[in-house]
Parts: sequence; structure tokens; C-alpha cells
Amino acid sequence: MPEDILSSEETSILTPVGFGATPDRAATSVLADQEIRISESNDPNVVVLPLQTALERYDWVQDLMLNLIRPDENDHVQQAAERVEDPLGHFLWVKDGAKVRLPVQSFTLLETPQARQFTHNITVIGEGAEVEMISGAAVPARVHAGHHVSIEETYIRAGAKCRSISIENWGEGMQVHSYSRTEVAEGAEQTSNQIMLGPVRHHLSDTKSTVGANARQNDQAIIFAPKGTERVFDTVTHLTAPGAQCESLARMVAAGGIILNRARLVGEASETVGFLGCDGLKLSDAGALEAVPSLTAIAEGSQLSHEASVGTVGAEKLAYLMASGLSEDAARDLIVQGFLNLKDQYLPDELRAQVAEMIGAAKSGGM
Amino acid sequence: MGLELRDLSVGVGDATILHDISLRVPPGEAHVLLGPNGSGKSTVLSAIMGLPPFEVTGGDITYDGASLVGRPPDERAAKGLGMAFQRPPELPGVTVRDFAAALGAEEALQREASELDLAAFAERDLNVGFSGGEIKRFEVLKLFLQGPDLLLFDEPESGVDLEHIAAVGAAVTRLLKTPGRDGRQRSALLITHTGVILDHIDADKAHIMAGGRILHSGPPRALFQHIQRNGYVAPAA
Repeated sequence: MPEDILSSEETSILTPVGFGATPDRAATSVLADQEIRISESNDPNVVVLPLQTALERYDWVQDLMLNLIRPDENDHVQQAAERVEDPLGHFLWVKDGAKVRLPVQSFTLLETPQARQFTHNITVIGEGAEVEMISGAAVPARVHAGHHVSIEETYIRAGAKCRSISIENWGEGMQVHSYSRTEVAEGAEQTSNQIMLGPVRHHLSDTKSTVGANARQNDQAIIFAPKGTERVFDTVTHLTAPGAQCESLARMVAAGGIILNRARLVGEASETVGFLGCDGLKLSDAGALEAVPSLTAIAEGSQLSHEASVGTVGAEKLAYLMASGLSEDAARDLIVQGFLNLKDQYLPDELRAQVAEMIGAAKSGGM
Repeated sequence: MGLELRDLSVGVGDATILHDISLRVPPGEAHVLLGPNGSGKSTVLSAIMGLPPFEVTGGDITYDGASLVGRPPDERAAKGLGMAFQRPPELPGVTVRDFAAALGAEEALQREASELDLAAFAERDLNVGFSGGEIKRFEVLKLFLQGPDLLLFDEPESGVDLEHIAAVGAAVTRLLKTPGRDGRQRSALLITHTGVILDHIDADKAHIMAGGRILHSGPPRALFQHIQRNGYVAPAA
């Protein structure tokens, strides 16, 4: 069994971020430190390979690499582009028209303290294909510090539907730089959910997407910043052709840490609709929350809007719950859980309780 | 010993709202506060429950002989106090079921919700989009979930339609008649503006309030009839 390749510790680290037994998944890939540990598919319509193997097996894959991101975009990408070693990462391909019944899962582990991990993943969801994806990243408790840099290039081909959930749980001294680029082609739909809870010293998430004609991109994010954590989000979505739609919702909780969320929508074509929603909750005087939504309408007939709010746990709500018999901590937990509104978040049932537990642990600083 | 207010003064910032209020609600008794808008009735309940922004500036509030002044609301709830709010805050994202679970009262929710015509509310967000009547019915239901010994009701019947008012009255009575913790007799302090709730509960004593003071105390029905004829003034001696 592929699970046997992972130690019990590795399985226990990955399970809270979504790892499931491989027979329950259409395909599985797990990358640990500098090695692809599992790369296996149970579905003939789903190809999962180490990226280097995919480059050797399919000549078209090379055209997808460093295609959505410029090789000279920044120092990290430039280092990746100029690497002489084989690239480290997953290649995932769902073939045209495939309706994949079970989720596809993909995980990254960093197990060596102070390690530097450089990954490059390429995902292709073929024309008219439908798939659900679960991905996650985690470190064992003994790893406090290290540096993870990832480049993700995702192609959602015409008419495809891709729903994904991503859960990240890094270490308190970790630095993480994520560069994600997505192309949502004509008539395709992408729904993504990101959950970032545990402490991390610094996390930069740099995301750019293009949404084509009559395509739709919906994303939701739950972002937590405990004390000592700094999370910076730079997100740009281009609505490139008529009928393109985008809705982006972020719920951010600063429990002593810093969150800076810069989100920008660009309406490049008529008949495009975009919405940015960003709500923040600040739980202590320490740290900071900053939400900077930005709209750029280039074409006439591009309808773009945003809502942003930053607040604290209201004394009136706290007193109401405490007068009902809850301790102050329990009352705060309930308010925060309500704010994060997990019930409206797409989550596989098996993960819902785990994520709720992680939120509780993150709030109390126990992660 | 129950609840006792002794020469209680309460303010917000520099403004004094309650002046030298004294009253006692022994276990097993239900008392009613009658008074015009702005007379300080809700402030009395808020001060007993320890809710912001009210500050006790003089006198004392005791429950079973122990002072409650300076204690946070959860400590007061742990001692057996519970309050049905007049205008509870909305808690988006927190369902009625989540709230009951946090109180460890899912079974009570299942058992009592239908009596107050709230059986379909378990997945609703707490107080979000509730009508005036639904708020009042839920606040009574909340006390079933919480199970306090001293019940504070802030205008439980206002905004409740005629169809549900008997249900609210019956629920309040059922709460009062059901023994509390350790078999203790429950007691209540209830604010009413309309007096309608008096048709549904057996109150033992009423207090007329005006200008932040208690003007007079006496039998509830007689005092309410007096108010209907003469307004919120003390009866002539």
C-alpha cells in the first residue's frame, strides 16, 4: 500500500491537512523534503507524475513550464528557472472530458529543520473535465524553521470544472513564498478554498489568475495569524474576455499576528463581473490587519465591486454569550468560529471537524 | 436568600441612571418591574447581570448573600443567574445549534424548541434576521438551555404576536415552576411595559419605577390597574 511508504508520524501530520487513504482518492502525490514519496493514480483518466518524469514523457509539458509566470519575475522564480538540478514537484493531468469521481490529493511535507525546499507543480485540468482536489502542506512539530518556495502553474482548460481545498499548516519559524498562477479558460469554472491557520514567521502568497470568456473563478480563504506570524497576500485577477466572472472572499483573524491582504481585480473586457470581499477580525492589541482591495476597470461594461471591513470582537456579543454561561474564552471561540463561517465553506465532511479543531487550537496558540 | 439590591446606584460615564434602588426577590417568588420608557428598568437587569456599559456607583447587589458587584457575567451565570435580553446582539455564523452545543444543551434544544415554535431554528444564525417575536421566544428558549435559578426577563412579551404570547407565558411559567439546580425553587424579576404577561404568570410583587427610582411596591394586579388609571406614580397613601 502506498500509505506504507509514509511513516505513521507522516500520516498523522498530513491527515489534519486532508490526507486520506489512497484507495479513497483518484490519485495521490506526496512530496517530502527533496523527494517525491508517492505519485500514484487509481484512475486511468488522471495522470500524476514527478514533474521531471512528466517532462521526459510528454513533450508538451515543457511548454507549460514557466509559461504563466515570467522566469525573471522575481529572485525566487529566477533561481527556479536557472536551477541545474531536476525540478522537484508534481505534475497532475486530468484528461479531457474525465469526470473524476474521487478527489485527487497532493501534499508537501518539510521534515528537516532549517531545510530549504523549492517546488514547482504543474496542473492541467483537460477540456470538459471535472475534478475535486485536496492539497495541503505541513511540517512535524519538531521543525520550527525552514524555507519553502513553491511555484504553481495551473491550467483549467475550456469547459472544465475544478473544485479545490487547500490547507496549510507550517511551523512558527518557517518562511514560505508561494507563487501561484492560474489560467481559467473559456467556460471553465474554478472554485478554490484555502485555509491557513498555524503560525508561520513570514508567508508571502503571490497569486495571479486570468479568467476567460464565460469562465468563473470563486475563491474563499480563511486566514489566521497568531502571535509571531506575518502573512502577506498579493492577489491579482484579470477578467480577460466577455462573460468572465470572479468572486473572492477572505476572512482574516489576527490573534497577535500581522495580515496584509492586497487584492486587485482587473476588468479587461466588457460584460465582466467581479467582487472582492474581505472581512477582518482582530483579537488583541498586538499585530495588525490591513485589507487593501483594488479595482481596475479597463473596458466599458466591466462591473467590479468590493467590500472590506476590519473589526474586533464586540463587547456586547461577548457579554451576551458570557451571560448565557460561557466563559470569556469559550465565547470568543464561538464568535471567531462564527466569523470564519465554516459552515458556508466548501469542505469535505471528513475535514470539517478537523479544521474546526485546528481553528480552536490556532486561536489558543496551541498549534 | 435570593437576590437583593441594597441602595443600588448605577451609571454610565458621568450620568447616574439608577438612584438608591432596594428590593429583594427571595427564592420561589416572581417580581415585576413596571415603568415608563427610560425609567431605568432595563438598567436594573443589566446591572444585576453585569453587562456593559453599566457601572455600579453605590450600594450592592447580592445573590444568596454574596456580592455580585465587579464579577463578570459568566461568573454570575455560574451562580445561577440568567437573562432573557430585550435586544440581543446578532451573531452571524453562529447557529442556534452551535450555541446550544457550546452550552452542552443540545438535548434541551431538541426538547424545548417546538414548544416555542422554534423547532426549525437550529440551523439559523443566532438572532440574525429574527423578527421581534422570534427574538423574545428564543430568549425564553435560551433560558431553558441555560437552566438558571434566577430568571431575568426584559419585556418578554413585547413584539410577540397574539398567537405566540400564550406560548411565551406558558414557557415562562413552566420555567418558574420547574425546580432549578439542586431542586431549588426558581425566582424571577420581569420587566413588562404592557402588562399582558401578567395574564399568564403568577407574579408575587410589583415595583413601580420612574426616574431611576422605585416609587412603590405592592400586589401586581392592583398596581397595574392603578397605573392604567393614574400613570406611573405612587398610589396615594
